[in-house]
Amino acid sequence: MSQRRLAFFLLAPALLLVAFTTIYPLIVSLWTSFHDYNLTRSLNMGPWIGVENYTEAFKYDPDFWKVMLVTATFVILDVGLTMLVALGLAVLLLRQGFGKTFLRTILILPFAMSPALIGISWRFMLNPDFGGFARTIGAILPFMRDVDYFANPYLAMGALVSSDVWHWSPYFCFMLMGGLASIPPETQEAARIDGASAWRVFRDVTLPQLKPVLVVAIILKSVFALKVFDAIVTMTSGGPGRETTTLGYFAYQIGFRDYQFGYAAALAYILTAIMFVLSLSYMRVAFRNAP
Amino acid sequence: MTDTPLPGTRPNTQDSSTPEQRRIRRLRRQRAMNTFEAAVMIVIIVLVLFPIGWMVATAFKSPAVVYQYTMWFEPTLENFRNIFSERWNIGKNILNSSIVAISVVIIATPLAVGAAYAFSRLMFPLKRTMFQWILLTQFIPAVAIVLPFYVMFRTLNLLDTYFALIIVNLSGVLPYAIWTIKGFIDAIPIEAEEAARIDGAGRFRVIWDIVVPMAWPGIMTAAIFCLILTWNEFLFGYLLTRQHAVPLPVGLISFVLERGTVWELVAATGIIITIPMFFFAMIIQRHFTKGMNLGAVR
Repeated sequence: MSQRRLAFFLLAPALLLVAFTTIYPLIVSLWTSFHDYNLTRSLNMGPWIGVENYTEAFKYDPDFWKVMLVTATFVILDVGLTMLVALGLAVLLLRQGFGKTFLRTILILPFAMSPALIGISWRFMLNPDFGGFARTIGAILPFMRDVDYFANPYLAMGALVSSDVWHWSPYFCFMLMGGLASIPPETQEAARIDGASAWRVFRDVTLPQLKPVLVVAIILKSVFALKVFDAIVTMTSGGPGRETTTLGYFAYQIGFRDYQFGYAAALAYILTAIMFVLSLSYMRVAFRNAP
Repeated sequence: MTDTPLPGTRPNTQDSSTPEQRRIRRLRRQRAMNTFEAAVMIVIIVLVLFPIGWMVATAFKSPAVVYQYTMWFEPTLENFRNIFSERWNIGKNILNSSIVAISVVIIATPLAVGAAYAFSRLMFPLKRTMFQWILLTQFIPAVAIVLPFYVMFRTLNLLDTYFALIIVNLSGVLPYAIWTIKGFIDAIPIEAEEAARIDGAGRFRVIWDIVVPMAWPGIMTAAIFCLILTWNEFLFGYLLTRQHAVPLPVGLISFVLERGTVWELVAATGIIITIPMFFFAMIIQRHFTKGMNLGAVR
């Protein structure tokens, strides 16, 4: 059998499945987004209305820009904090010492947990009357006693971000550990002999060499952050008001609560476009030196 | 950690210090660092384990104690009996999740091995483009995929079925599996395959007898990752099921009642969702970093 025919034979099932489960629905979504499709009025798709669903979002829907702001805030906080925690953990874990194996083992736990479960647990933990987090915070900071976390926009956002950081930091910690371990130790050693402080060695020698891995991690985490859905449903339901409603959750609400499928498809497509730009930059970085 | 306190030395910021003084200063700083490091590690361990420990404790608390801030209580299995009772019937959700997750793994893994081998070893047109497009599909938001599927499954009367869940879950895990396994096949020396080919083995023989055993850790890693992702999946289950095919994580929602959430049952169900995944994650722990980085960073 020729290589081409064999490749076709091996690839066809997987490619067909990927095409059917992602590319096909993506095209249908795009098509839907140019139509008037409201499930409360009719079970069938309405007439072609061009880009009206998109102008609705950008021009007329006051919620849309609010949601975009929430999304940007969430992504920036989430990605920034996850990277800081993951990098700190990675540096810590790569140092020799007592308890590192144990720490590495338990770090798997948050990652293996369902985000929906983490979301609902956080809501429990932050209950001011009997929640483990809320009562502990209240004991340390008395002014935080009896605070309703999910009624306050900043605290609700903080709760959502913290749950996602808790879930994802281990994954990115392991990824950055791989990156740190592949840096030749001679460079750091040389800088140390020249009298550089530990912080200078890290900032001027280690960090620049870690940059390719770090960039990949940041883009990947941004994509994951834009995808967050489960924890929003089980923890904040997007509230208070729209304060924790990210674009993905907004599209869900428009589609599956208000049954405006056309508009929801347009919103989902705006999200897809943002992710696409991020993904392409990811590809460029990840494949820069690939064979 | 092993050095003893050194009395009588003073930190000296002038540069006139002798080498001996500098050595002492370094040791002191190191001791301070070690103490600091230990403190940080304790904080991290507490932050990781506290929410999990709280959930475990809640699952064994009787309803009266759940609403108290305490770790001292008489453990009971009542909550577990309760969730398996006819009223909540979490056993059905466990069955649903198992059927969907196992089917997804059984379908995705062999397909991914075949595709990964082609991408790793064979030459064909548009190879790089195809590979990048497969990876790109990982980044499509689920909301954009679920809408057309909802309409399609409703038309075909497939809402609330295992079939619907298996299909949509495959969309998420298959590209990931191809990506991971390809990384592991890339790392196998090609000489082993060539030797067998010279001996007259066909391609499929080579794949089955040489590539699969050598890439086994990678295949296992990919399979277990797929299992964890599908098992924990929430969005598709939330939107595409009503009562028959509801998966476990979506089952959590049923404890959110109008009069409030029944937290002890949430916690008990949470433990059932989590324990098998902890177990599987431990199995692949060694390959955890490797599997992720091979595809992501090269």
